[in-house]
This record gives sequence, C-alpha cells and structure tokens, in this order.
Amino acid sequence: MKLAPQSVPYRALQKVSGIVVVLFFVVNNNPEWGFAAATAVAGAVVLLAVGYEVAYYRRFDYELTEDTLDISSGVISRREREIPYRRIQNVDVSRSVIQRAIGVAAVDLETAGGSSTEGSIRFVSPDEATRIQREVQRRKSADSGAGAGRESTDRAGGGAGAGPDAVGPAEEELFAISPGELALVGALSFDGRLIGLLAFLSSGSIPVLSSFVPEASAVALTATAIVGVGGLFLVSWMLGAGVAFTNYYGFRLSRAGDELRYERGLFRRYSGSIPTEKVQALRFTDNPAKRALGYASLSIETAGYAPGQGGEQGSQAAVPIAATDRVYRLAREVEAFGDPRFSRPPKRIRWRYAFRYAVVVGILVAAAFGVDWYLGAGLPWYAPAALLVAVPPAAHLKWKHRGYWLGEDHLLTRNGFWSRTVTVVPYYRIQNVIDTRTVFQRRWDVATIVADTAGSSSIAGNDAAAVDFATDEAIDLRETLRERLRVAVAEHRDRRDRFEWFEGDVGEADAIGESTEAIGESTEAIGESTDEGDEPIPDADNEGFSDESDEDQSEIPDDGVIRPDFSGSDRDYSEPAERIDTGEYAVDRNPSDIHDADRGEDGEGEGDEADEKGDEADAKSDRDDGDEPGADANDADK
Amino acid sequence: MTAQTLHPRVQVVWVLRAVLIAAVLTAPFAGAVYLDRLPEWTPVVAGAVFLLLGVGHALLRYRRWSYEIREDALYLDRGVVTQVRTTVPLVRIQHVDSRRGPVERGAGLASCVVYTAGSRGADVRIPGLTPDGASDLREELKRLAIRADGEDAV
Repeated sequence: MKLAPQSVPYRALQKVSGIVVVLFFVVNNNPEWGFAAATAVAGAVVLLAVGYEVAYYRRFDYELTEDTLDISSGVISRREREIPYRRIQNVDVSRSVIQRAIGVAAVDLETAGGSSTEGSIRFVSPDEATRIQREVQRRKSADSGAGAGRESTDRAGGGAGAGPDAVGPAEEELFAISPGELALVGALSFDGRLIGLLAFLSSGSIPVLSSFVPEASAVALTATAIVGVGGLFLVSWMLGAGVAFTNYYGFRLSRAGDELRYERGLFRRYSGSIPTEKVQALRFTDNPAKRALGYASLSIETAGYAPGQGGEQGSQAAVPIAATDRVYRLAREVEAFGDPRFSRPPKRIRWRYAFRYAVVVGILVAAAFGVDWYLGAGLPWYAPAALLVAVPPAAHLKWKHRGYWLGEDHLLTRNGFWSRTVTVVPYYRIQNVIDTRTVFQRRWDVATIVADTAGSSSIAGNDAAAVDFATDEAIDLRETLRERLRVAVAEHRDRRDRFEWFEGDVGEADAIGESTEAIGESTEAIGESTDEGDEPIPDADNEGFSDESDEDQSEIPDDGVIRPDFSGSDRDYSEPAERIDTGEYAVDRNPSDIHDADRGEDGEGEGDEADEKGDEADAKSDRDDGDEPGADANDADK
Repeated sequence: MTAQTLHPRVQVVWVLRAVLIAAVLTAPFAGAVYLDRLPEWTPVVAGAVFLLLGVGHALLRYRRWSYEIREDALYLDRGVVTQVRTTVPLVRIQHVDSRRGPVERGAGLASCVVYTAGSRGADVRIPGLTPDGASDLREELKRLAIRADGEDAV
C-alpha cells in the first residue's frame, strides 16, 4: 500500500519551513542582494525537498500480511520492517489542523521494544488510517485466536468475548467528557513548567532590570515582585488550562471487543487503540482539590510509549477527570480489581516523617539566618520556624495516604498527599520485585517494596511501591507477590496450553496445570544437578562414555518417558516432565537443544565424528543391557 | 543453590575504583592549596576521609553482596547504604549477558547481566564472577528461563 499522494507536498513543506525562517533573516539583513539569493536558494531547496519526498513516496510501502505489518521505506538507506500484530501495543492516529484540511493523517504503531515509535506511517488518508487501526486489531485477535492464547477475552469481561468477525466488534462507549468536566480539567490544570522557564529567564534579567530602577524603595520592589509572581501564576494557569482544554476537547473512550479506543483534541485530533490484554497498569491520580470535589483521573498504561505524548507527559489516553466512583467503575471494566481496603504503614512511621519535615524546617531557618547574617538586615530569620506547627499534620497526612492492598489478581498501592496516586498492577504483569531499605529506613525497621512492570511510566520511576512497611510485613509482601506471580503465570500457561495442545481435553490439561507446581520446584534441583552434571560431559565426549554417563543413557523406563536425571536429589520426580522432546537421548544432557552447536565449538571439535559413532554404539549397547537399572528407577518412582 | 558470594578479587576492583574517586574528589582541595586558599593539611585530611569512606564502602559492599538462584526466581541482595533485595522471577528473564569490561579483564573477572522487560530492573548485574563462572551462570539462567517457559507479559 502506498501513502496518500497529498503527503508529498505536505512533507516537503514541513521540511523546508525551517529554511524559510532562516531566509527571512537573510533577506532582512541584506536588502540589496538578499532577495534574489533567497529566492534562488528557496527554489533549489524546495525542488530538492520535493524530489526527496517523491522518492520517499515511491519507496514507502506498507502491507498488512497474514501475521505481520510490513513496512519498507528509506530513500538513501533502505529498511524493511515486519511488526508482528501480536507485538503491537497501541495504534495511534493524529491529525493536526492542516493535516485535516488536506485530508491526511499520521499513524503510529508502538511496540514494547525500542525507544522510539516502531511503525510510523506518514501520511495516509483518514479512512485508510482507520482501516489500518481496525485491520490490525482484527488480525491480531484472529492471530491470538488461532494459537497464541486468548487471555484477553477473559480479562475484558462482559460482552467482550465475541469473536472477531468481518465487520469488527461493536463499539461500546465507556466515557465521554461533558462540558462541565472539560471546564474542570482546564481549571485544575496548572502548567508548572512555564514558571520554571520564566524564573530561569528572569533570573538572568534581574541585574538588567535593577539598573533601570536604581533608587526604587524596598516596598515598591516587593509589591512589583508579588504582582509579578501573581501574574506569572495566572498566566501559567491559563496556559495550562488552554493546553488541557485543547488536548481533551471531545474526549471519548470506548471499547470494541478486546480493545479500548480513545479520541480527543480540538486542533490536533488524536485517536488510538489500546488492546486490553496489553494493559500493564492503571493509575488513579488526584489532588486535594479534586478529592474535595469528588473527582479523580485515570491513566492506562501499556509497555509502548504513551500515545500522542512520546512518553514525556505520561499517558493521556486516559480519563482526564471524572467523578471518582465513575472512574473506578470504568477502571474495573478494564481490570476487575475488587474493592480495595488499603493497609497503612505502622503508625510509628509518622515520627520518621515528622523528623524529616522538622529537619527541612531547620534547614530553612538556617538558610534564612545565613542570609540575614550576610546582609545584616536584621530580618526575623526565625520566621520559618513557624512551619514547625505544620509538621505533625503533614506527617500524619503523609502516613494516612500511604498504603497497599493485595487483591485477588491485583496489587494496589497508594502514595502521596498533594498528588495522590493509586496504582493497580495485575500480578501477572509484575516483572521484578525490589525490596529497598535505606539506612534511615533500617533505623525504623521498615522497607519499601516496589513491583516493577514493563509499563511506560515505570521508566519515570512511578512504579507501584509500598513504602515504609515494617520489615517483616515487607518480606511477606515480597514473597507473596512472587508467589502470586508464579500462580498467575501458571494459570496463563494453563489456559494457553489447553488451547494450543489439548483442544478440549481439559482433564489432561488440568493434570498438567497442577503439575506445573512440582515442575517449578524441580528447577532448583535441576540447577543443582547440572552443576555436577556439566563437568563430566566434556570428559565423556573425549573418552567415549564413562560409567557414569552410561547409567544416564540406560535409564529409559518401560513407559518410554525419559525423565531428567536428578541424581543426588531426594525429590520425587515421578511427574512426567512437561513438553520435553524425548528423542534418542536422555533429555537432560543438553537440556536446551539450541545450544548443542555451541558445545561443539568448545574445543571438542576434533573428535566429534568419531565420538558420535561411539555414542551411537554406546547408546545401542546401553539399550541392550540397560533395562535392569531403568526398571529399578521406574519402580522407585512408583 | 545456597546464597553465593562474589569472587574476593572484586574487592580489588572496587577498592581501586574508590581510590580513583577519592583522588578525583581530593584534586580540588589540592588545587585550592596550590592557590593558597586553604591550609596545607586539608587535602591530606580530605583525601584520607574520602579514601577511608570509599574503601570501607567497597569492602562492606563485597560483604553484603550475595545472589541465589531459587526454585523460581533469582535473588540478589546488595547495597551498603541502601540495601536492595531484588527478586527476578525466572519466567520474566528476557535475555542474559555475560560481559567483561577492560578493568574486569585486568582483574580476571567477568559479570553477568540479566534483563527483564521491567524498566527499573532492566539490567540486574552480578559483578565479580570468574569468566567461567559468568558463562556458567549465563547458561544456567538461560536454561532455567527456557524451562520456566514464561511469557514476557508485554
């Protein structure tokens, strides 16, 4: 498939717009010859750009194949890329005002790998963009239906179980922003970055300004400062409100099958899709103002980058603001976590926070004293000490808003008073569990447990964290999370296996599912046994077979199931090993066949062929005389 | 597998690094003395303090470091000032590297890096292994990860 033809002039103009600005200055600075030169350069550049874009257009080709999306592109260095549908995290479509006017749209496909957008199609017609979006979803669900686990349907819950059909599943609206809510989003959006920027700029201009007002009185200066700061806040508030308003204008979240779709934006329209099976975490945020009004925000995280934001501002494919109970109801549609009852850290930890805040106040007082001493102004430097009054309530609030809760399938954590975040992490999505104790935490005998996921905002360090819980409880939590992850993985595997291999023979699948536990335990022993077992192998290869390996070879039980050799272990390995290709040889010799090639290179190359012959002979003789020990082992198993 | 400690020679690497850091941190003091801004004893004291802290930290770090492969997870226990215990479920291992930097090669050591899809623990690094130990550990983890038969959940 080709790009939209309008994209050629549009892309060319996009490229040269920067040069136009430069030329403008050239013209301004050199009125005599500037114009002619500028026109010539501009003409050349435009021609060059158009030429390049035509080549780009001709080279760019994308195709929706059976199970991958193929994109081949590149004028100078060519690139062919195949993205498997299953790996696509989200598909985002955006259209700016100009793009809407000329009828093109940009499509971005995110996968979990890499740091930038993996599939970027610039530009196609809006209809084509929608078609890609729908088609990717349809083929993905067809793909997973054919083989790779349909975990999503169960998770999506009510009504979403409908299989893919030609038309695509019906869209069900989950949330649409009301004008009142939109106004509220604007009112509660405060863009702090502008203040930082202006403060940075003005810090450079203060010496300049002070030279203009050499003899101004302190009162006038203070008044100006206050007005200035007030104005700054007002401006950044209005800017924040404007940005939020244009961003979230017409926000709409809906679900179609096992996929969430969103739309938003006034000038630049964004629309995108998030498969529910790709949701890594849910995040509720609120602040005291929102809590007082009974509102909260929700963001939905995948392992791809946050849609439309390039990972800078966190996911905005989320509900910007809505009544708290509505937000929770919506979130439960995506991840069915129960009714959380958070357990808080031990009360004594409030002393720690109080102590910490008191130290901060102490530092402020000391800084004020230093300034006062340096200026000799006789100011009341002890004034910041008044903040000590606020320390106990602050410590209490900090404690009060911390907590975690272990649901049936989810871990919920809660942190922060000014910007309170509740994070919902399904156990299945946990990647690592990290237990940290700083030197101060150890003094209070507490620890922090972090459940790391592949979610995008984890990159910014906003993981689900249970902070400052008693060490014993933290260790329990850590082990519980590990255990529940194991169970969740086993459940997923069970479901997948049932689908892939047992097709209806649920009884057998159940048996396997139960046995995964035993197998899981056995990995440790396998690790142990190979420590000893790895050594003899090179020897055995060089000298033919030693007695030890002879025994290994001979243990082919009557039932034909070759079991790994767990010599030196007291465990009961009577459960049949799962999914091990039992060929001629005992499976535990080189448990991963992939690595056989490497082993050949490890310096045993010279004798390989001879060895192989020897092996065969040995194996034969083993089978001839090896029945007895094998039978013994079998008896012992039973 | 019981808890494993690192190879003792890694202390040499860490102590050398501490000495280097101490030297870098002491340099401004020495410069100040050269410009007659500080009395002569300051770089000596500062250097001694930095060296003591750095070497002490390096030695304690070695003592604290341990790792263990248990039935379904890799456990790491480390950190002097902030103690960190990381649990990496074997099902979540994406790939495993063994690597040898120039300093490590000089000391005859190697390290093993375990990657998961998680972003924070993206690289779990086990330093201070012998080269054979590092590749053995890599093989071991790879094998266990394959056996654990996980999904990456992304």
